Amino acid sequence: MIRVAAWVGGFVALAALPFFLGSYHNDVYRKLLLWITLALGYNFLFGICGQVAFSHFAFYGVGAYSVVILTFQAGLPLPVAILLGVVICVALALAVAIPSTRLEGFYLALVTLALAQLFIVVLNEGGNVTGGAGGIANYRLPLIFGWRLAGPPYTLVVVALLGATLAILWRLDHSWFGRACRAVRDNPEAAAAMGVDVVRTKVIVFTLTSTLAGIAGMVYAFVDNTVNPPIFGIDNAFLILFMVIVGGAGRHAGAAIGAILLFLLPFWLAPVVGHHHQLVFGVLMLAVILVQPKGLIGIWDRCRDRFSK
Amino acid sequence: MQDFLELAVSATASGCIYGLIALAYLLMIRPTGIINFAVGEWAMVAAFGGHLLLSRWEWTYALGMAAVVAFMMLVGWTTERVAVRPLVERGAPILAPILALLGVLVITREAISVSFPPDPMPVPFPFGIGRLEFAGIGGSYQTFFIIAVTLAVFIGAWLFFEKTLWGKSFEAVALNRRAAALMGINLSRVTALSFAGGAGAAGMAGLLVSPNISAHYLMGVPLAIQGFTALVIGGVGRVEGALLGGLLLAFAEQLTARYAPIPSGYTQGVPLLFLMIFLLARPTGLLKARA
Repeated sequence: MIRVAAWVGGFVALAALPFFLGSYHNDVYRKLLLWITLALGYNFLFGICGQVAFSHFAFYGVGAYSVVILTFQAGLPLPVAILLGVVICVALALAVAIPSTRLEGFYLALVTLALAQLFIVVLNEGGNVTGGAGGIANYRLPLIFGWRLAGPPYTLVVVALLGATLAILWRLDHSWFGRACRAVRDNPEAAAAMGVDVVRTKVIVFTLTSTLAGIAGMVYAFVDNTVNPPIFGIDNAFLILFMVIVGGAGRHAGAAIGAILLFLLPFWLAPVVGHHHQLVFGVLMLAVILVQPKGLIGIWDRCRDRFSK
Repeated sequence: MQDFLELAVSATASGCIYGLIALAYLLMIRPTGIINFAVGEWAMVAAFGGHLLLSRWEWTYALGMAAVVAFMMLVGWTTERVAVRPLVERGAPILAPILALLGVLVITREAISVSFPPDPMPVPFPFGIGRLEFAGIGGSYQTFFIIAVTLAVFIGAWLFFEKTLWGKSFEAVALNRRAAALMGINLSRVTALSFAGGAGAAGMAGLLVSPNISAHYLMGVPLAIQGFTALVIGGVGRVEGALLGGLLLAFAEQLTARYAPIPSGYTQGVPLLFLMIFLLARPTGLLKARA
């Protein structure tokens, strides 16, 4: 009961915060929440189920572009566009996951790397549909029941997205399915022997997390009110992997910590290294793997253990 | 017909580049099981090495080429020491070194992007710009140079695996690590050598391709994708498979670019399509490993 109250209190605080922030900080805050959402989803795929993929950010882009194109180029009502966007994400994820999870090994990583690369090409070459290199801009969220959602109230949508994503992943993680995922990660043969359908588990997790990323992308589309190819570049696919590893793969709190740290780090690093913070991220990620494979959350656990003794 | 022959020659050269990258993957995957996505970045580093030595400092080509390949082998050896061996010795799961190498990939790319201007950097042609023609088949000097060097590398690799004791020890490690170790094969030396060789092959590919496309810090990822696709097509079991896969992929790409009525950028989708088809229909690749 106290736990539930703490969670509710936490989310009320998250939801109240934007009303005390200026428009610049609101923008930073929304993007931070979106990164945490993405990292939580990727953590379920990579940290809990053990599958490396580089398409998580591309699906974020697929969600964002599809809702914008369907609403403003095809003129569909927003709810229909959102539903169709989800269908597109599911179909694409299934098409990628079914061939590439059939074999042991890291084929999923490679296929999704090729997909992420191709996605940028399609955006650039898409002509009027995707707006080419300039992307699509100058659109606004349609009125919802006569309301115009913008400013701090729109940040509530982002908070709700984070809450819903966390709730879904948390629920799954604590069900038999979460245990099946961990078994697939740690020992696929043993998992299969215990009656877990390894390939199906991988396909379901990939499709689910990719679709969650797509939905996050749909929310993102109305944060900046512009979508263009550089936003969804391949750099961010690596960044999201680094966030989960640095924070602590396999733990929701770890993913959140990693996302917060790596999202905020460039703000502090900018005076020192300019735009080359990716170099720092790479070194940080390599150091974590070599020195502390459990990530920052592992360090936290160890400190807590020491003090509680 | 003339058009097609011209295309075939240039596709063969691209296929050789993909084949070299695939060979780099293969050299590391066979004995260790580690997929090193940083091979594309290694090709990129070699291209910048070519720019520095050959364009800026104007070394003679043969000397510059030898220096670049030697440097790349050192890079591969160091990478294995720093990012792979500590993890393998600790008994970490195979995923750990693969992730560590992804860190190396980003570090490499960013280090280059910090050190050089963001524009494409020129790398000179070894024999200048010119055309060679015989019996209706024509291509630039560079095209034939790429084909000749690649053939030499592949023949060397084939002889190494088939004829030398060192090569046999690689195969033994690939077939059964523990048995090979019990037979007195030094596992860590084989791993270090496979990384040095892989980086050398990737570096050769980067140096050969760079006069045509210029050295650029983002050139790595496409090469990494194309090389791995070539490997999946050919199969990880045999050295010749890497070259065969590279040639098939390059022909498919160039024919699509030339004859399919789609924007040329979409040819980047060809590797993805090939990957899907081969993973569904023939996941072991075209050539089977010898038992």
